This record gives sequence, C-alpha cells and structure tokens, in this order.
Amino acid sequence: MKKTLTFIVCLLSLVAVQATASERCRDEVFLRRAYLTITGALPWPQACEKFLDSKDPNKREALIDRLLANELGVKYTQMRWGDILRIKSEFPSNLWPNGVQAYNRWIYEQLLNNVPYDKMVRELLLSEGSNFRSPAVNFYRGFQKRSPENFYANINLLFLGNRNCTDNGYLCFSQVKFKSTKEWKEEIIYIDYHQKLPWRKIELSDGTTLTLQAESDWREAYVSWLTSRENRRFAEVMVNRMWYWVFGKGLVHEPDDWREDNKPSNPQRLNQLTDFFVESGFDMRALMKKILMSDEFNSKAAPEGFYEPQRLPAEVIVDALASATGVWSTYSSRVPEPFTFYPQQTRATHLGDATVSSSELELFGKVSRDVSLESQRNNSITSRQLLYLMNSSVLENRLRKSVIVKKAGKENPNIETLADLITLRVLSRRATPQEKQLYKEYMEQNNLPITEAAIDIMWMQMNSNEFLYNH
Amino acid sequence: MRTLYLTLILLLSVCLGANAQRAKSVILVYLDGGPAQTDTFDPKPQAGRNYYGSYSGVCKTNVEGIEIGEKLPLLAGMADKYSLIRTLTHGSNAHETGHYAMITGDTSGGAVVYPSFGAVISYMKRDSYKGILPSYISVTSANSRFNEGGFLGNEYKSFDTGGKPEADEYEVEGVVNKFVNREKMDKRMALLDKFENQPMDKELIDSLRGVNMEFVWGNGREVFNLANEPDSIRKRYGKSRLGQSCLVARRLVEAGVPFVNVRMTGWDTHKKHFQKMGSMLPNLDRALSALIADLDARGLLDSTIVLCGGEFGRTPRVEWEAPWNGGRAHFGKVFSYLVAGGGFHGGKVVGKSDKTGEKVAERPVSPSDLIGTVYMLMGIDPYGTLPHVSEGDLPILPSLLDEKKSYGLLYEIIDLKKPAYER
Repeated sequence: MKKTLTFIVCLLSLVAVQATASERCRDEVFLRRAYLTITGALPWPQACEKFLDSKDPNKREALIDRLLANELGVKYTQMRWGDILRIKSEFPSNLWPNGVQAYNRWIYEQLLNNVPYDKMVRELLLSEGSNFRSPAVNFYRGFQKRSPENFYANINLLFLGNRNCTDNGYLCFSQVKFKSTKEWKEEIIYIDYHQKLPWRKIELSDGTTLTLQAESDWREAYVSWLTSRENRRFAEVMVNRMWYWVFGKGLVHEPDDWREDNKPSNPQRLNQLTDFFVESGFDMRALMKKILMSDEFNSKAAPEGFYEPQRLPAEVIVDALASATGVWSTYSSRVPEPFTFYPQQTRATHLGDATVSSSELELFGKVSRDVSLESQRNNSITSRQLLYLMNSSVLENRLRKSVIVKKAGKENPNIETLADLITLRVLSRRATPQEKQLYKEYMEQNNLPITEAAIDIMWMQMNSNEFLYNH
Repeated sequence: MRTLYLTLILLLSVCLGANAQRAKSVILVYLDGGPAQTDTFDPKPQAGRNYYGSYSGVCKTNVEGIEIGEKLPLLAGMADKYSLIRTLTHGSNAHETGHYAMITGDTSGGAVVYPSFGAVISYMKRDSYKGILPSYISVTSANSRFNEGGFLGNEYKSFDTGGKPEADEYEVEGVVNKFVNREKMDKRMALLDKFENQPMDKELIDSLRGVNMEFVWGNGREVFNLANEPDSIRKRYGKSRLGQSCLVARRLVEAGVPFVNVRMTGWDTHKKHFQKMGSMLPNLDRALSALIADLDARGLLDSTIVLCGGEFGRTPRVEWEAPWNGGRAHFGKVFSYLVAGGGFHGGKVVGKSDKTGEKVAERPVSPSDLIGTVYMLMGIDPYGTLPHVSEGDLPILPSLLDEKKSYGLLYEIIDLKKPAYER
C-alpha cells in the first residue's frame, strides 16, 4: 500500500516536472533569448515585429537555423572559442596582432563551414608551420611557459575537462619546437623528428597505452586517441560545454572540472546528447540546434520553468546599449604602433583580441583571457555596474544622442507610439497597454516634452532586470 | 619542537602585522610610458651631452649630497620628505611587461596573471575598509594593458573616475552627471520601481542601488568636488590634469581610500624628448611637491605612502640620430622611483647607478622589493598568500621567494625590522 502510494506520488511529481519543463515561454521571450544566446546581439525592431507577427508554427526552428548559420551567430561562437583559447595580442598570450588575426580567421572558417569537432581539434593540435600562414599553430604560441607539460595540461583542460593531469602524455608534445624568422614576430612551429624516443609506450591515466615510433610526430598518437569515438569523454566535454554556453551552468559544473566526485546533475540528458553528437559525426551546429530546440531552452524562466536567467555578458551589454541607442563605441588597439582603429560600429563581441578593451567592457567583466577556464567570465552584478547604468555621463550622452530621441524630436509621436519604438529597440517586444499608461502618466505628471520622456523611458528600461538579464 | 618553531613564526608575524600598520593609504603617481631617470631623480651631468642632452646643471636639494634633475626645483627644496630609489631593475624594455612588473611585483613568464598591487591592497582591506568610496580608485583611468584585477577578479579592479579634474566641472563617471539632479534621479527611480517586472536578484540589486544613491548624493560626490578647495590650494598643485588629479588623490586619502592611482600619460618620449620635458617636468615638479607638502601640512604624510615612477626608465644615452632626433628609448635595466610617507624615511638614497646611469653599481632593487615594502608598511605580510580559483593559495609576491629576482626589502629606509624567519 505504502509502496503504491509512493509510486503514485512519484508519478504525479514526474508529471508535474514534465509539465513545467514543457510549458513554453512566450514568443517574445524566446526571440530575445535565442538572439542573445546564439548571436550575443539584440534583434532589430523589424526582425522582432516580423517574428512576433508570423503565424508559421515552425518559426522558432526557422529562427534557430537562420541565426546559427548567420554571420552574427558564427562570430559569437568564435568569441567563446577565443576566450578559452586565450586569443590575445599582449600579455600573457602574446600572440601579437598578426597572429591574432590569422588565428581568429581560422576559427571563423571552421565554424562557418561547420567543420566537425574532431577534425577541428585534430587540425588545431597537429598544426605546424608559420604563425601567419598556418594559423592553428598559434595554439602552441600562446603560452608564457612553452613546455610540453603546459601544452598537455591545457589540452587536458580544454578537451577533457581535466584540471589535474598526472600521466606522461605530455611526452607526446616534447618534439614541438619554435624558431623565429627574419619577419617581425613571425615564428615557425615545427616538429623535431631527430629527438630521441623517450619511451616506446606511454600509459595514460585511463589505462590506454600509446605506442610511439621514432622519427614520427608523436602528437599524432595522442590526438588520434583523444578525438576518437571511443574516447567518450572528448564528446561529453564538448556537449557539456555547449550546454554551459546556453544555460550558464553545465550538466557537469564547472564545465572544465570533470572529476570522479563531480557528478553530472542529469546523467541521462548528458548521455542522450553525447550519443546524438557522436552519431552526427561531431556536428557542432546540429548539437547546438538540438539544445536550442529542447524543452529546457523553450521553457519559461525559473522559478516557473527550467531556464535560469543570466546576466548579459560584458560584450553583449555594451553592444546592446550601443545598438539600442544607435550610438556605438569605437575601439582601437595600442599594439603595435601605429595604432589600429577598428571600423565604426564594430561590435564588442567581434573584437577578437582581449588586448582591445574599454572602460565599459572592463567594468562589466570582459574576459581577459589569462586562463582557459570558463569561470573566468564573471557575470555577477556589482554596484559599480549599476552605478554606470544609473548615472554615468557616457550613457546619458548616448541616450540624448540616440536615434529614438532624434526621431521623437522630428516626428513628435504620441506616447503610445514612442513606447513601442523604445520597447522594441531596448527590450525586443512591444509595450503593454499598462506600460503605455504608466509612461503617459509619467510624462504628464512631470510635464515633460516627448524627447525628455523618451530619454527617461530608455534609461528606465536599460536599468531594468528585463534588459540586464537573458531570461 | 617543530610546533614551537611554527608558533614562534606565527607570533612574530602577528607582531609584525601589528607593528607594521603605519600607512593607511597609498598614492601611486604613475608616469605612464616611462620617465627618464637621468632627467628626474638620478641626474648624470658629468656624462656629457650624449647622455645629459640639453641640460647643463642639477638641482641641489635641501639634503646634503642629494641632487636631482635641473627641472625639479620645487622637489629639490623638500628632499628631506622623500627618499629616492635609483636602482630599480626588471630588465624588461616592453611597455606591457614592464608595466606588469611594476604594477604587480611579479615577473612575466609565469603561468598565472597576478593582480596589480592596488587590487591586492583593496582585497586585503576588504574587511577593514568600510567607506562608501571604492577602495581602489584611478584618477582618471588605470592603464588597462592587462587584467588589473588578475586572479582576484573584477571586484578588485580600480574604479576609474574618468572626466577632467582640471575642468570647471569634474564629471566623475557614474557620480557626477550634469543632466541629472537629485529630483530627476528620484523620478526615474520611481518609474523603474513601478515598471520592474522581473524578480532576478532583486534584493541584491535594490541594496546595491541604495549604496549607489548614498555614493552619488551623499559624501561620495562631495569628495570629488574640487570647488570645496580654496583657489590658492588648487593653484599650488597646478591647474593641469596631473596637478588637479593629485589634489583629488589627497582628498580621497583624507576620506580613507586605501589606494589611489594617479596616472599621467605622455612619458613615452622617443622623439622630441627634451622639448616635451620642458613642459612635463615643471608640471610634475609642481604637482608632486604640492601633494607631498599638502599631505605633510595636514598630518597625513605619516599615514600615506606616495610613490612616483613609471613602468621603466629611458635610455641614459640620447638617440640623436634620425628618426629619433634627440629621443630616449625604453630602459628597464636601471631606473628610479621616488617614495615618501607612510613610514618611508625621507632624505635618503637607495642604490647607486654607474657613471652613465646604464648599470646598477650598488644595491639593485626589484619591483617586488619595492611593492613588498609597501605591503609591509600597509600591515600586509609580503610573504603571505592570495587565493586563486584553481591553483589554491599562491604567494602574494612570488618573486620575493626567488633569490634571483629579489635583492631584499627596503629595510634601509623604513623603521620596521627584518622578521627573524626571513632569509
């Protein structure tokens, strides 16, 4: 009797969980969430209206497909790779701008062409040649201490989520050598085939034995094992990392700290997605789509649903403030002289070089790319960030020069129209009737001209949680 | 026996900590780009025109036997208030690594990026400093050439004031916004309260906003308001960016802020060096001498460390040839820093460079020796540790533990004694 009761309770709670997990968020929530997650950018007002007004039952899938293949989507994923590969001109990676550009271009092409994950990692780790002409070799350049131990520790961290590797696999990287050329900051990364074989057999910590041959590239033995289908951890770590990119919390958390005593929160889900990833032939875009089409991603925000709201990353906030006002920041690099100036309207998410920064980006916690840990990105909210949003002259000037204020000054719209204009631009949705009423009262009570009301409403929306968070 | 030994060490370090707390604040006057030591604190008139360039003489100071550059007469009149370190050395001639060395005390090349010493002090004072102002402030901005917060994280990065202290209105970023008065802000906040429809971190955000309102409309704002200073004082510091920044620094220290970074750019003088120095040195002379004198007059110099220098010095030998036509290049082998207050003796010189100023002749000083001494005076154990997210506890100044990278803390210019456990 008791057993039956427990069973029924379990069943009921399961149903309840299912129901909340599958209760879908509203379209306007999905639209903003999808844009911010895939592209790190806010949708333009026209795109919002088009999506919200569309009657297509598959419009969510169509949107995901479009954004994943789109330039913005590819470049945002590129930024995430740049963070963990520590792409930076100056200290501590010291890749130098030419190296940074070549490396970024290589990653961009891998992602644009959706090169399978195993192939991409293989090419990255087995690279040889000039840092300008074989961009992937920059992987080996970006270390303060260029030692086989360091290369190996980083490879373990990135691709196996292992923070403490103790085996002798590093020997496979002991042939990696560097030599400079007469070209300023050019370096050749080559394999020293004359090196004496340290050991014929190397045992890895999981029990695998690698066999090394004299006068061959020993990295090959390791990388073939690493990227093989049999090495399930390789696929799992990427699946989990992608889950982390989307939800801000890994199924295994931290995503780069896989240990016996750090169990996945939902092992079935991890297994299921890993099976899918391996069977797809390590198709990263398909994996991303799978996660984005999931009930979890389409659910309401917590506490009602699964999706935990996340504060927008530094680059995304700064870009959102720029795109909503139409007043963009300018970026430049101080290395090497003469200085490099980025084109107008370059997005912070597209800078590609952690050496290039701004006070705002620093304030909101742009990743400085010192280490390959995901936790280096700190999205917790601080009083100084709020202070900036509340009362900085930089933002105030932006609001005053914004395209909306200009339009309001020229066209003198009524407050209802203005409310929609602003809300579409800042919050990617239309204003509700209650909000319109609120704005109307605010404008009348304070006897404000329409432009001044526009500034205050934009300020208010940019200070709201609805703006600050992906929810 | 071993336990007893450890207990003794512990006791000693506690005593050290208790005795050491002499300084409460640090003002770093950072000459970004690298000032020429031979033009400032280590003149070499006898080395001839190829070294001494356009200068002819020196300033004799009010301390017997100490001479400084001829463009610094005001500082020369008060050498009893400060000491000069003439043999700082890290050997790096690149801006980013030199800067990293001088601002962290670490040597580049390790696997870990250390935080700036401003961030470390800010972190160490996180419990004892309760002021409304941020604990690490840069006037007007930090040199963000690397991650200032290092592995301590964003919280300990400097608060950059932005704005122009020398202008009629100093618009401190986030604090002074000429379009928004209290009434306007209250209205906006009320609108936000009515609108807010998302519960995320609401309690935290509300409390942080409360702190900000106090900062913006309470004492915080007034500290930055230079109109509170008599015009005579403002003039004494010089109405330049550097002068007024130094005045802001004094006001911040008065308000209890533990670390203030005043950064003056423009010292990277590869070309037109002597022309530029013609205006930059008098500017520095006025601002820095006014700062030290003003702190002294207010009884603040005993508890405030003032440091002045850059990421490195400049080549003692002038580059007369094209394209430099009388410039000086980067020089990390030997250069100078001025130190004053907070327990540093005045009227002394540490170290000696050779005849032309190109080599250390006596007593090299590493960046970690200087920063370690500052930590000691601030009551921070220079042999203590800092928490790292993945590496566990790391030494606060790893270079101090390496005989090849450290030449000893500056015991010759402080009263504190070398602790018994130190090698």
